[in-house]
Amino acid sequence: MLKKMLGSILICLFLSIGCNQEEPTTIVDLSKKEQLGRKEEANLITYAYLPQYSHTVSYHRHHLLVEYLRKETGLNIRQVFPETFNKHMEMVALGKIDISYSNPFVYIKIAHRYNARAFVRVVESYGQENFRGQIICRADNRLINRISDCREKRWIAVSPYSGGGYLYPLGHFIAHGLKKTDFSVVDFAPGPGALQEKVVLAVYAGKYDIGTIREGTLNLVADRIDIKKIRVIADTRWYPGWVYAARADTEPEIVEKIKKAFLKLDYDQNEHKRILEAADIIGIISSEDQDFDPVRELAAQVGISLQE
Amino acid sequence: MKLKFHSRIYLGIFFPLLLLGVVNFFVVTMIMKDALLEENRNRGISIGINLAARVTEPVLAMDFFRMKALVDKTIGLSDDIYYTFVLDAKGEPLVHTFQDGFPVDLQAVNVVSDNQDYNIRVLDTGSKLIYDYAIPVIIDNDLLGTVRLGLLRTKVQEAINRVMLSAFLSTGLVILFAGFVGTVLARPITGRIKILHESSEQVMRGKLDSRTSPVLKKNCWEIMKCGKHGCPAYGDVNHRCWYIAGTLCPSCTEGEYAQKIWSCKNCHVYHKCSGDEIQSLAESFDSMILSLKTHLSELQNAEKTLKEQRQLLRTILDSTPDFVSLQDLQSVYQAVNRSFCAIVGKREEAIIGKTDLDLFFEDIAEKNRRENLEIIKTGNPLKNQEEMLTIEGKKWFHVVKIPVHDPDGNVIGILWSGRDITEFKEIQTRLVLFQKMESIGQLAAGVAHEINTPLGIILGYAQLLMEDVPQDGDIYNDLRTIERQSKICRRIVADLLRFSRHTERTESIATSLDVNQSIDEVVSVVEHTYKLDRVEIEKDYYPNLPAFRGDKEKIRQVFVNLLNNAFYAIGTDGTIRIKTSIDNKNDEIVISVADSGIGIPPEKIDRIFDPFYTTKPVGEGTGLGLSITFGILQEQGGRIEVESPPSSAWDIESKDAKGTVFIIHLPFSKDKEIKEEIIDGQNISIR
Repeated sequence: MLKKMLGSILICLFLSIGCNQEEPTTIVDLSKKEQLGRKEEANLITYAYLPQYSHTVSYHRHHLLVEYLRKETGLNIRQVFPETFNKHMEMVALGKIDISYSNPFVYIKIAHRYNARAFVRVVESYGQENFRGQIICRADNRLINRISDCREKRWIAVSPYSGGGYLYPLGHFIAHGLKKTDFSVVDFAPGPGALQEKVVLAVYAGKYDIGTIREGTLNLVADRIDIKKIRVIADTRWYPGWVYAARADTEPEIVEKIKKAFLKLDYDQNEHKRILEAADIIGIISSEDQDFDPVRELAAQVGISLQE
Repeated sequence: MKLKFHSRIYLGIFFPLLLLGVVNFFVVTMIMKDALLEENRNRGISIGINLAARVTEPVLAMDFFRMKALVDKTIGLSDDIYYTFVLDAKGEPLVHTFQDGFPVDLQAVNVVSDNQDYNIRVLDTGSKLIYDYAIPVIIDNDLLGTVRLGLLRTKVQEAINRVMLSAFLSTGLVILFAGFVGTVLARPITGRIKILHESSEQVMRGKLDSRTSPVLKKNCWEIMKCGKHGCPAYGDVNHRCWYIAGTLCPSCTEGEYAQKIWSCKNCHVYHKCSGDEIQSLAESFDSMILSLKTHLSELQNAEKTLKEQRQLLRTILDSTPDFVSLQDLQSVYQAVNRSFCAIVGKREEAIIGKTDLDLFFEDIAEKNRRENLEIIKTGNPLKNQEEMLTIEGKKWFHVVKIPVHDPDGNVIGILWSGRDITEFKEIQTRLVLFQKMESIGQLAAGVAHEINTPLGIILGYAQLLMEDVPQDGDIYNDLRTIERQSKICRRIVADLLRFSRHTERTESIATSLDVNQSIDEVVSVVEHTYKLDRVEIEKDYYPNLPAFRGDKEKIRQVFVNLLNNAFYAIGTDGTIRIKTSIDNKNDEIVISVADSGIGIPPEKIDRIFDPFYTTKPVGEGTGLGLSITFGILQEQGGRIEVESPPSSAWDIESKDAKGTVFIIHLPFSKDKEIKEEIIDGQNISIR
């Protein structure tokens, strides 16, 4: 009996020892060290998308387009990701962004401040080369039905540099007799990135009574909230759409190459269609600085200085 | 060596627990180790994936500050995070957490492939083991870079060691506790079992006064408050009431334990007083001893009674003169009495278990077996008279064989009994002979009476004629022949008449007579004649012989017959010795008449007293002498014996060492006043 018991114990010990095998290891020497140093790339053309959305969305929308431009022009084009609208404008000023893709409001600012020049602008996914802003509230908010109901309400806008998300709605409010001071609160979405989405989410959460966004933003958040619970109070008038501008010091040949490549994009071609749809546009057309005069006029109308 | 019970309990508790503990220790520690390693692995993956997600935008923005902040924040999450760094899409390090430069060996040691979500390698730095996690930073299926995270194995190992130590200590504590519990549990049990064992040994030694269970603390009469002092359970502090028969509790069924226990189990006394299994065992053991003691006493009494009855039965069987035996169906003797043993000539032990073949001659045994089988077959008893050869010679028995039945009526044996009827048979034979003699006597008396008259006339006329004829003539000789033959006839007739008178129980006149004198009177008559043939008579008389009361003439006839027979047996040249003596023991006068004659052949000696039996030639004897002698002595209260050849005690000098002696026993009385009576034709002296 004792022998059987001892035998059982020994079997258990052997089994447990057999199960207790160590994992294979790789020997490394941590003593060999070196300091990091990054080399600046030569002839780099930087491409930046005004960070109205997160960097991820920006990358998602534009990395195919950047890749296309690289191939098409043979230029070393790389997308960079400024954290904020201001940062974007600063980087244009500092020469860290050669090709700026921005809204008309930012464009008129960098054009005014840093002599950036528009050379193409986009045709929006809904088929227009113009776009507009939207004033939204919660669908169940019975107190707000008209523009005038927005008085004394809490307003969240995308950014002071946003066209569809601030400038255009502000012009719309002024046109309807509401000044910026008529709202109890005017806040802007906290950065960095995803500013349009943050406005929708803030209204959806009830933190603000109304929000102003560029048209098309609701579709971007449809997978995160029930957009039926958001009601559009009013749409602004149409303004020119997003624009590609070249930094003032960018060589005209390079700008021309890029412009040609842009204009070559054909929505009817599957490869181009994939690129354009990723960027949420259906085409790129030629543009000039004068195309954005209505925006300049609006800025002047609402009292925004392009220098600030 | 067999383990003791308490050792078995200890081992029964200790070894399974030890086995369980060892198995549990290794299994639990193994599972825990795996779980901890898995947890650590998952934690590393989680941290790495989280970092990869959070570092995506800084990588896109090439925001080294944010990347550095993120990797520094990550390494601060836990002590066991040894390093974190981010590689770009080309595998070049962007930021890291090392203080004094980036270890170049780490750069390519863990590469995650396109189809992997992460990759883990265990790195051995010589002093530490590090789990290195490589998590890709991906956006739209484009690899932006790789996050690398190093987790020290030390902390996990410490956790594993703590788990193993905890498991070991808890297992050890459980085993120690189990050992303590086993001791606490086993000690009372083994102690009580030891008491039970000692009690059972005492019982086996015959000591039925041992006690196993302790004195009861709760008692039924106190619980019931019955006050029934006559109840056998009242005051008995050694036995539970449900073990005691004849209790007076109203809720209790009458009878012993087996009958009453079911009603007792519903009693609240039972519920209050019944202990655990060992206690119940001890109490039932005590009650069993009590019951055993009682039954043993009863058994001893029954055995004593049975023994007495058996002895009585044995005495009866042995006292009866009849032999009795019991045989089974195979004729094997199961029981015999003393008479049977005497007949067989063997002791009882030598007979029991044997068959007839072992005890009797084959022919007798087979006859008995045939009879037994017939009785077994028919069931009918058997009765007959058999002459059997016993150790004392041949004897007649009245035999009865009876079948013995069991309660179901089946024959299970045979009872064989027999009564010795040898004497009865002899008496019967003598009675027949006597009746025959009586008939012959009557016939002889009739014939003699009828013949006597003409015979007298023939003899008378013959003698008259002899006087008338010359003595030298033929006629005289013829007449003399007639006379001589007529005298022979007259003597025969006289004998017949004496015989017939004896058989007819003629009257006897009892007088007191001197036997020596009577003998002398007879001897004086015949002595002269005997001397002619040179036969001497020697007398050896006992002086002062007591008187015998009897018929003097008949006694003298007896002596005449015996002396004539002795003389005839001698013929010529011999001695007849007459001796008288006294047998004081039997109050008898003993007279012996011994001769030195030819003696009596053994085959004839039994018949010499039969009437008409004679060894003499035809015409020389009637064969009635000894028969008459026998009859006279029987009538006079005496008896006669014969020895041939006589024993040396008689001191007879025989010619050819044969001879015969007749010994007569005559009773004498010490009482002088004797009344003579003649009763019913028989001469019987009544004293």
